[in-house]
Amino acid sequence: MNRLQVPIHSSTLKNGLRVVIAPDTTAPVVTVGIYYKIGFRLEPQGRSGFAHLFEHMMFQGSENAPKMQHIKLINSSGGVLNGSTMYDVTNYYEAVPSNALERVLWLEADRMRALKVDDENLRNQRDVVKEEVRVNVMNQPYGGFPWLDMPPVAFRNWANAHNFYGDFADLDAATLVDVQKFFRTYYVPNNAVLLLLGDIKPEEGAALAEKYFAEIPKGATPPFADPAEPPQKEERRGDVEEKFGTLPAMAIGYVMPQRRTTEWYAMALLDQALHGGRAGRIHRELVLEKQVAVEADGGIDDIFGYNGPTQMTTRILHKPEYSSEATLAEFDAVIREVQETGISEDELQQLKVKWRSDYYSTLEGGRGGYMPRYGLMHLLACFTLFDNEPQLVNTILDGFLAVTRGQVQEVAKKYLRPENRAIVFRMPVKSEVKEAA
Amino acid sequence: MATKAAEISNLVPALAAERPVTWPKRTRAQLSNGLQVVLAEAHSIPKFHGELFFRAGNALVVDRAPSLAEMTATVVRTGTAKRASRQIEEDLRRLGADLGTSAGQDTSAVSFAGLSEYAEPLLQLVNELAREASFPEGEFERERRQKLEEVKLERTSPGFLAGERLRKALFGAHPYAQISPGEAQVAAYKREDLQSVYSQIYTPENALLMMVGDFDPQAMLNTIEKLFGAWTGKKPAAKESAALPQLHARRVFLVHNPGSVQTQILAGCHAITRKHPDWIRLGLTNSLYGGAFNSRLVMNIREDKGYTYSPRSSVNPLKQHGYFSVSAAVRNEVVAASLTEIFYEIDKLRSLPVPETELADAQNYLTGVFSMGLATQEGLLSQFSTVELNELPADYLETYREKVRALTPEDLMATARKYFDSANMPIVVVGDREQIQEQAALFGDTEVFDTQGQRLDK
Repeated sequence: MNRLQVPIHSSTLKNGLRVVIAPDTTAPVVTVGIYYKIGFRLEPQGRSGFAHLFEHMMFQGSENAPKMQHIKLINSSGGVLNGSTMYDVTNYYEAVPSNALERVLWLEADRMRALKVDDENLRNQRDVVKEEVRVNVMNQPYGGFPWLDMPPVAFRNWANAHNFYGDFADLDAATLVDVQKFFRTYYVPNNAVLLLLGDIKPEEGAALAEKYFAEIPKGATPPFADPAEPPQKEERRGDVEEKFGTLPAMAIGYVMPQRRTTEWYAMALLDQALHGGRAGRIHRELVLEKQVAVEADGGIDDIFGYNGPTQMTTRILHKPEYSSEATLAEFDAVIREVQETGISEDELQQLKVKWRSDYYSTLEGGRGGYMPRYGLMHLLACFTLFDNEPQLVNTILDGFLAVTRGQVQEVAKKYLRPENRAIVFRMPVKSEVKEAA
Repeated sequence: MATKAAEISNLVPALAAERPVTWPKRTRAQLSNGLQVVLAEAHSIPKFHGELFFRAGNALVVDRAPSLAEMTATVVRTGTAKRASRQIEEDLRRLGADLGTSAGQDTSAVSFAGLSEYAEPLLQLVNELAREASFPEGEFERERRQKLEEVKLERTSPGFLAGERLRKALFGAHPYAQISPGEAQVAAYKREDLQSVYSQIYTPENALLMMVGDFDPQAMLNTIEKLFGAWTGKKPAAKESAALPQLHARRVFLVHNPGSVQTQILAGCHAITRKHPDWIRLGLTNSLYGGAFNSRLVMNIREDKGYTYSPRSSVNPLKQHGYFSVSAAVRNEVVAASLTEIFYEIDKLRSLPVPETELADAQNYLTGVFSMGLATQEGLLSQFSTVELNELPADYLETYREKVRALTPEDLMATARKYFDSANMPIVVVGDREQIQEQAALFGDTEVFDTQGQRLDK
């Protein structure tokens, strides 16, 4: 077996900023990322959607790079950039021809040091964010399904259960004071990691990180609310109206085991057995064999990228002639089968080969084809911020390849229970869906 | 907007010397049965990406039914003379592989990616799908019923509805006007129709096999010769297509989608194919207009006015024709205001030369982003297949950057005048007519449709 090994150099500046460098001279392109360890899970109560709105504000101006300059300087250097807000981290990243590396570091350091935005910027981005929510959620068939529909049904702790895109009233209530406070609290060097990947020498990268970031003052260690959930004792169900779509839909989510435990590795392979494309048991049974569903997919979303309660989620759009309960019964039959008989040795071997292959693609892969090494950047960042161990990129595969048939069956029995799951039904308001079948 | 932005700080580090961009060498071959092969090494990960293209798709067979080549591709992966559907899917997983079958207007394709250690068995499966697809009756019937649900569902997506209507306005009786079948057309699909499309399109003389990845090209070529060498079949005959409609004045096509809380705007005009000598200058003009984050349109209606999250423009090349389009999903109150700015920015490019510094920024952007594809196997495959499928010059990739850099403000203004025909654009708006019709009608004679494509105002 040809194992991929990524060279990794990591260090910490005196202000606590971690620096991870992964050189690779395949192309004259360098990918720069900064991850802050704060996402929408732990944003302030009464300010739903704030972490994401704040991410937009990070493009609105810093001490020496006023509004438009950040974007303009990256694009005009031949690079692309973006940012995204996730459960437990927010990232900002650029891929540029390697001759623009210093410029990118200067820009990222400038906005880590001092955000400089005004009320007009905030009003502007609040409007932009509302259109983002409309285009992705409110004006789309199955918009936000199930990522926004599931949390309030599945979880009880506000951190896990609230609207991550934000209620419009909360977005309207956000002020510049909130913006600067959030910035001072969480956007400190000791709560972040800087990643340099691609066409860069390790010693050159380390020197540049020192030059641009070392003088940014360390901040107080940020306070983090406890995202733990009270134990779940019953199956939870909720309903959401589907305004545009023609098909009844449902999502079933099971709470995951603790990250990086033996059970977690086994659950990842079980996820592959259930949701691995057209060979996955759920798609095979519901779409291809029983033909109850039009779509049946899902899985563990971003398995390495979360640091709190999460679920493995199946998303089903089914034919109107089948009731919700009839569809759910077919789904339950798939779950029962894997609990009772487990998986064969042959299937387990297939799953492991596919896992390894997918993992390599994740490390190389762009994001929508335009961000080289996005996956490697994301994994290095999460392994640094959550585990303090970027080298896991080269070793974590072993945990998945060591999983046994028995372990897969055990986690199926232990975790795929009704009292460990939540179900959201999203029913079209327009269609002639039959409720009994 | 640019006028409001402060000067660039003199603290900004200058760009270092540019490092050379070197595209990997391509190994080209043609088998005696006509199959073209292009291979390139890329050792970023121990995998490879490949695509077996056939140079015909939905447009060639549209007179039988819309999207018939796509339906054919869907069913191709569900069975061969040697393997049933479930076997195919499990074998793919056993090889750590991904595979897709698809068709667009001008091509059909089997795309695949897998571990280098299992390259030969994966190519064997691709070979079977290309030559021995068996179109099992049960699989066909299931996929046809699936497709019925999908065509109902896509009529609830604002993006689909806008695209469908614009394509009809731009392409009229030409096959490119048809992007999706109606329910009755799907109901009438027959297994025999698919088999006939398959035998017509899936032939070696019509095919191009491209692979990029971690392998030795000579050894891979030997494997390909061994697997695909005995395959036979002729190229399908080309067909004349209808001429495009002449566009006169701005016309508004309103697709009434009741309950919409936002309006999808999409406008466009005819443009050119990728092979056209003006392609590169049109690409740069588009990039500056609305093709990049830092473009005029984005800065205006997003960063200055906050009307929308994701405005963009694009140049869309098809084999026989191309078109330009600009889109934005905006809040209902600012439909007219957004259209005003969309046309203002187009007309400004047609009226005034672009400042030198702005031009240089756009040139740097386009040439830089062009090289991003070098970093991944998939990126390389995409660039190489663009060159091959469009029959671009062999040095297209190598000379692209210098051609972009040679363009002047006058070139861009002439390009905008020639191709951004703002006075004669069809304008599609998808939204709730009660809220937007009055605003949209300011821009031209208006036709109103429902989401099923039926006229509502006649």
